[in-house]
Amino acid sequence: MIGYVDGTSPLHRAHPYTTLALSGALLFGAFALTRPLEVGLLVLTAVLFAATGRVLRSSAQTALLLSLPIWILLFVLHGLLGAEPRMAFGPVALSVPGIARALVLGGRVTAIVLGFLTALATVSPHRLVEAMTADGVPFGRTFLLASTLTVLPRMRERATQILEAQQCRGLRLGGSIVARLRALGPLALPLVLGALAEVDEQVLALDARGAAGSARRTALDPPPDSRAQHALRWALLALVAAAYAWKFWRMRG
Amino acid sequence: MNGCDVRLEGVRYAYGAREALRGVSLRIGAGEQVALVGPNGAGKTTLTRLLVALRRPGAGRVTVGDWEVAHKRPDEMAQRVGYVFQHADHQLFARSIRDDVVFGPRRLGRSEALVPGVLEEMGLAAAAGLHPYDVPAPLRKLVALAGVLAMEPCVLVLDEPTAGLDRVQRDRVVSALQRRAEAGVTVLAVSHDLGFVAEVAARVVVMGDGRIVADRPARELLYDREALAALGLRPPPTVEISGALGLRGSPVRTTEVVAVMGGIRWKQMPE
Amino acid sequence: MTALVVLERVTFTYAGAVRPALADVSLEIAAGDVMAVTGESGAGTSTLLLVATGFAPRVVGGTLAGTRRIAARRCGVVFARPWTQLTGLCSTVRDEVAFGPASLGLPRATVLAAARNAMETLHIEQLAGREPSHLSGGELQRVMVAAALAMRPDVLALDDPAAELDPEAADALYDVLPVVAAAGTGVLLATPDSERAGRVATRAVALASGRIVAEGSPAEVLTDTEVARIARAAGCPPPYPWDVPSLLRRVER
Repeated sequence: MIGYVDGTSPLHRAHPYTTLALSGALLFGAFALTRPLEVGLLVLTAVLFAATGRVLRSSAQTALLLSLPIWILLFVLHGLLGAEPRMAFGPVALSVPGIARALVLGGRVTAIVLGFLTALATVSPHRLVEAMTADGVPFGRTFLLASTLTVLPRMRERATQILEAQQCRGLRLGGSIVARLRALGPLALPLVLGALAEVDEQVLALDARGAAGSARRTALDPPPDSRAQHALRWALLALVAAAYAWKFWRMRG
Repeated sequence: MNGCDVRLEGVRYAYGAREALRGVSLRIGAGEQVALVGPNGAGKTTLTRLLVALRRPGAGRVTVGDWEVAHKRPDEMAQRVGYVFQHADHQLFARSIRDDVVFGPRRLGRSEALVPGVLEEMGLAAAAGLHPYDVPAPLRKLVALAGVLAMEPCVLVLDEPTAGLDRVQRDRVVSALQRRAEAGVTVLAVSHDLGFVAEVAARVVVMGDGRIVADRPARELLYDREALAALGLRPPPTVEISGALGLRGSPVRTTEVVAVMGGIRWKQMPE
Repeated sequence: MTALVVLERVTFTYAGAVRPALADVSLEIAAGDVMAVTGESGAGTSTLLLVATGFAPRVVGGTLAGTRRIAARRCGVVFARPWTQLTGLCSTVRDEVAFGPASLGLPRATVLAAARNAMETLHIEQLAGREPSHLSGGELQRVMVAAALAMRPDVLALDDPAAELDPEAADALYDVLPVVAAAGTGVLLATPDSERAGRVATRAVALASGRIVAEGSPAEVLTDTEVARIARAAGCPPPYPWDVPSLLRRVER
């Protein structure tokens, strides 16, 4: 499940910047931290993050699904090509340090994906736009961001409608690889073409409602912020900076 | 091609907790032309989706001819039932209008010989080489209809086929359906355009809140002002004229009304 | 009557097109007008709306020849398909309607008042808290008209606004137009629905191949109503009656 899910969790109620900052901290932290213990804590933090947003089950499922190919790749590469000592797993002998390395790398990837999905699920595009508008961010940028966030559900809905229409014209789903490839045209093209055709109209409609104007938009219901959240965001920034400093200090020392 | 009959027996369908169809039974004979009317949310579109296996009923049975729809996939149902969606843009993808109309017959392994005729019928012959998205939206609707007609279905199911069309385009759709009706094709059209209903349908099924609330000959319902008002509808112009002039015989089609008006003497307008 | 828009011998050609979409068109729109524009698909009705409101060529590109004077401070436009006009950024109808005034940077109280007035004019106050994407076509189209009105445009152009609406919703929408015009707005309405247009329009113009072929009162111009066609087929001499009352007046008793 990818995309915003309505809710009342602390992450939903927090200022959008705060939730994004938490997710960002996880992301940057994942790049900085490399030791098994650090990565273990990172994954735990990501799980706690998702749990706080009350989206742990759906996000974890999707995160694992998305990172599965990478996990497989990591295990195969590092397990087969890693250094001694080796351990027997059935017919294959896999490298123990290699497996450990795969776990660490996989853990980092999963933490990133989980953090990203949690943010996506708990940050309402509407509230984010209001927050950005209140900050005076030009409409073009907020629209771009918000459209990206809402594009998936819209596309999904359209794709279903197109699927049904083409089936009613005799297009059979499934079948051989060749058949599936041939079905791509009738399925993907209306999606893209239809979306493009709508863009023209939407641009006109938005222009007519002043979206391209130079005035600073009035925010109607900016999400409430607090000094504590403000401080938290700065603290997270400092934490991430510290993590990098720690990493570089270790590398030199 | 001869029409198939369509049967729904005790059909129920729910979207989650919301019941869209509450035990609907309907029989449409082969070659009959039926209009389906009713307010938004009455279940009309849901009912039509059941006929092409896009939805499976929670209870009850749906058959088209001798086919049990429960045992078929939508692409199989396409061999018998031509479904024209309200929004054409969801299916147009080919490089040219002609290529798009040919898609359906090709998928079904049917002859493409009908395609030029269908393009002509829909007034698309001149535009046949154009990209579907290079023509205005109403024309795209006609392209979608042409694509379905070219598949030569024995049952035609149409969802608001005249919405957004201008007069000339509406006439083309009406003529095309009248021609198919004469050829014995079964037609089921969801429409709130009573002028269209008057020209094409002999029978009107009224739905409300997931049930069939009325099933009457078109001639009867279109003259029942109260029943129409209850549906938020006005009688079509043919019926209004007939009522105002006191014409005999309850004519509903334009040709019928014009024929009965034959004896009228007209006043000249002052210059 | 002050002219809000004046077109003098205007020719407009879309970028890359061979044939002009509008040729030698002269037209005036005044405050209080409800001008119906009729013509077959491709006759240039939509283009006329875009040119008269200044969106062509500014937003859609193309070349304009001739003289155009737009005295209107602001122009609004409403298209046939409600869903493509949604901003996608607003979680309530009220926010959607308020989007336009908010884009102008007006104070919050003014924005909300403008939205409230517009919703009252369209009788959609009860929809204020609803999610726009959950509305029916008829309800959503009224929201879109309210959204355009909230910006207090001097000219409001509507391109086949009831195309996707059921008869009751279509009637309700058309009935609002004289109210809007009475408040001083110039209404420009392109539609193939001559019956409904005839009921609300004060003037009408017919286009063919981008040229004006008829101009005058609705009764004179909107002659392609069903009643007119039936009268003509039944032997009535021109000019043909466009509605049932006028048909009755032409019949010798």
